[in-house]
Amino acid sequence: MPLFETRNFGSISFEPETALEFPRGLPAFENCRQFLALTLPEREPLVFLQSLEDSGLCFITVPVQVVDRDYKLRMAPEDLELIGLPTGAPPRIGDQVLCLAVLSMREDGPTANLLAPIVVNLRSRHAVQAVAPESSYSHQYPLMPAEAAHQGAEPCACAV
Amino acid sequence: MLMMSRRQGETILIGDDVEIVIAHIGRTRVKVGIRAPRETTVIAREVKLVRDENVAAAGMAKEENTPHLLKFLRGGPMR
Repeated sequence: MPLFETRNFGSISFEPETALEFPRGLPAFENCRQFLALTLPEREPLVFLQSLEDSGLCFITVPVQVVDRDYKLRMAPEDLELIGLPTGAPPRIGDQVLCLAVLSMREDGPTANLLAPIVVNLRSRHAVQAVAPESSYSHQYPLMPAEAAHQGAEPCACAV
Repeated sequence: MLMMSRRQGETILIGDDVEIVIAHIGRTRVKVGIRAPRETTVIAREVKLVRDENVAAAGMAKEENTPHLLKFLRGGPMR
């Protein structure tokens, strides 16, 4: 199994077939095409997207339903084609695709990018950061402290 | 903001070297052709927002930030 040195997690070993392939990279990181989606039991529900080309590049993400249980995924036909999904209907989260929101930290608290979720085709492991066309979702959706948030929601069950 | 009305096929010039053509007008979208110098970046506004957001997100993605982040997610850390 190949070993890869990371800034956050030290040396990690992984099965090459578990890597996610971003054919277009991510906006601002177009040359980074291969990532690992890592989960740690004590860090659930976070999913770390670790670049396999740049040991210092990592995104902290969370399944989009953790932030918004009713999130409606809409993707441009080009993005659907890019990751090998049919263009007729929006993909089903959890069943066809894993949908992750990238988290950021601002002075007034963390935010989630709901405008452009990372969508992974669970069958092919091809992925894209899908900038939703005509979306009303924010790229800086504020996260509320857990105590104040909606109670009773299940943690997501679709981690990689 | 300057507002201009244009028909399909008509053009707008910005400065000396940027040309915008209204290539097609559909029911809910317009297709716009842009001719600009190679060094001029042309991207949709939302892509620029996502680029900037990704740069900010990559900068804070450190293990030591995760306990704070988890306080903001439903259920918090699983123990």
